[in-house]
Amino acid sequence: MPESIKTLEYDVLVIGGGIAGGESALNLADIGYKVLLVERDLTIGGKMILLSKVFPTLDCAACITTPKVSEIARHPNITIFTGAETEKVTKLGEHRFEAVIRQKPRYVNVSDCTGCQLCEEACPVSVSDQYQYGMVGRKAVYIPFSIASPRAAAIDIENCTLCGACERVCPTQCIDFTQTEERFLVKVKSVVVATGFELFDPLKIPRYGFGQYKNVITSMQMERQLAPTRPYNTILRPGDGKMPDNIAYVLCTGSRDKTVGNPICSQVCCMYSIKQAQLLMGALPMADITIYYLHIRAFGKGFNEFYAQAQDMGVEFVKGKVGKITEKENGNLILRYEDIEAGQVKEAEHDMVVLSVGVLPNRGISETFENQKLELDPFNFINQTDILASPAKTSIEGVFVAGTASGPMDIPDSILSGGAASAETTSYLRRAVS
Amino acid sequence: MEAEKGKTAKYLKAKRPVPKAVTEHLKYFTRTKKALINALKEGEKTVPQLAEILALPADEVMYHLMSLLKYGFVETGEMDDMDEYFYYKVKDHGKDKS
Ligand SMILES: Cc1cc2nc3c(=O)[nH]c(=O)nc-3n(C[C@H](O)[C@H](O)[C@H](O)COP(=O)(O)OP(=O)(O)OC[C@H]3O[C@@H](n4cnc5c(N)ncnc54)[C@H](O)[C@@H]3O)c2cc1C
Ligand code: SF4
Ligand code: SF4
Repeated sequence: MPESIKTLEYDVLVIGGGIAGGESALNLADIGYKVLLVERDLTIGGKMILLSKVFPTLDCAACITTPKVSEIARHPNITIFTGAETEKVTKLGEHRFEAVIRQKPRYVNVSDCTGCQLCEEACPVSVSDQYQYGMVGRKAVYIPFSIASPRAAAIDIENCTLCGACERVCPTQCIDFTQTEERFLVKVKSVVVATGFELFDPLKIPRYGFGQYKNVITSMQMERQLAPTRPYNTILRPGDGKMPDNIAYVLCTGSRDKTVGNPICSQVCCMYSIKQAQLLMGALPMADITIYYLHIRAFGKGFNEFYAQAQDMGVEFVKGKVGKITEKENGNLILRYEDIEAGQVKEAEHDMVVLSVGVLPNRGISETFENQKLELDPFNFINQTDILASPAKTSIEGVFVAGTASGPMDIPDSILSGGAASAETTSYLRRAVS
Repeated sequence: MEAEKGKTAKYLKAKRPVPKAVTEHLKYFTRTKKALINALKEGEKTVPQLAEILALPADEVMYHLMSLLKYGFVETGEMDDMDEYFYYKVKDHGKDKS
């Protein structure tokens, strides 16, 4: 059956609406180019919009991201597709790309949804909230989180019982179960890939007990616990709701570790762990925080001072390699580690453990490029073919890379990289086609 | 094929039956929710206390209780004497119509 497919035209396709893609889109749109921003998730903002505060300034992440995200959303030259996947990208010639974009049904007309949440209240279903990394439930119809953009409901059709309660209470009648998938053929002159990173899955290191011991959590879960839109009433152990007072951090979980296939440093884990330790000292003044590290990499502007500040606040740093974590009956955890300075194997008890998980490549996107190869580097990030002279350049002329899609980096560097990608895209677009 | 606005769930249900696991999950949540709210109606409790009464793992109680807190059925009370666990209590009588 031939499917109808709408054709759309823009100057630039930006794939991925995190901080890097958002920055690229905004710069290009400001110059006057028409941009299509395609985001896989239900909201733009990427990982940053979910963070608590950001190192090294300790600015609230939402306070920086929210105005940026709304500027992107309101820009007359930017069209945003959320809940959309890039099926394929084909280069027909210089300044001539064609992409097929698949928009999955949200079952809610975003433009009519007021975000009133009456549907959420009516929905009887509760399933794990992916935006709270599983620490709490959410309804089958849900607004991802309060600062999501668009701030509109979506239906999780996989978990919906189709009881109709949500659409009966919706005051604007914007819920529509007749929606189906739409496909678009998009013609553009250039492409920016800003598909970001994946988090390391600590289930791959069974000796840390993640998944099995409920008081071993990831740093992203701790980020959520520290954010104003936290899953609990305060910082608590997921295992039994106890307020922790002796928290350990295990740095380099899934980074610089050949045994899990990721030999490189994730660049942000040291600093975000130090940040979280400082925030925890503020939130739980009685708590002891210990950071088990191999090396602290604090190379950025103001980073060393930030590290020293944590030491002054009383955060304990132990140069040690954690071998194994076991659980006691009361939910506390015993860390067995090699104290590198003392050259001894030691044990320590903590009531909660945070695994500082690493940054991994998000590999899928290169396979969507059809007739030319979007090369990956040896670590499976997108290869920067001319890293010194034009850092956004990829193996395909006219396709540029922004942010952590090219390798681990923090927010300031992701924004810089987004800026570089927009500048290089502009110069490509202005180059005459012979 | 035209589905009436505000009644489109029925239309999709005819085309796409709801998997059994989804209805089972709903039943389980509804049951746990009732049990938690009933236990809290008898007086405020901590997570370990609820886990014991309901004979459920404490992490599961925590997850569902925090969901009920988010949905507005439950609210946070004081901390216990050891400053370890919060008490939780029903809010608006657990949203009972009765
Ligand atoms: C626990 C933790 C704490 C952190 N704390 C800090 C901090 O305090 N300070 C700091 O500077 N940095 C911090 N970072 C790092 C920061 O999160 C990253 O630098 C930043 O989010 C990178 O932005 P990005 O846009 O490159 O990628 P992402 O945030 O990953 O965004 C990528 C976007 O692309 C979308 N996408 C992916 N694939 C596709 C596809 N195929 N099609 C369409 N869309 C797609 C994703 O859904 C996402 O929205 C922290 C990281 C972690 C894990
Ligand atoms: S139709 Fe689905 S989303 Fe709507 S209230 Fe019922 S279960 Fe929830
Ligand atoms: S879908 Fe309807 S009920 Fe739900 S938030 Fe939007 S306007 Fe409100």
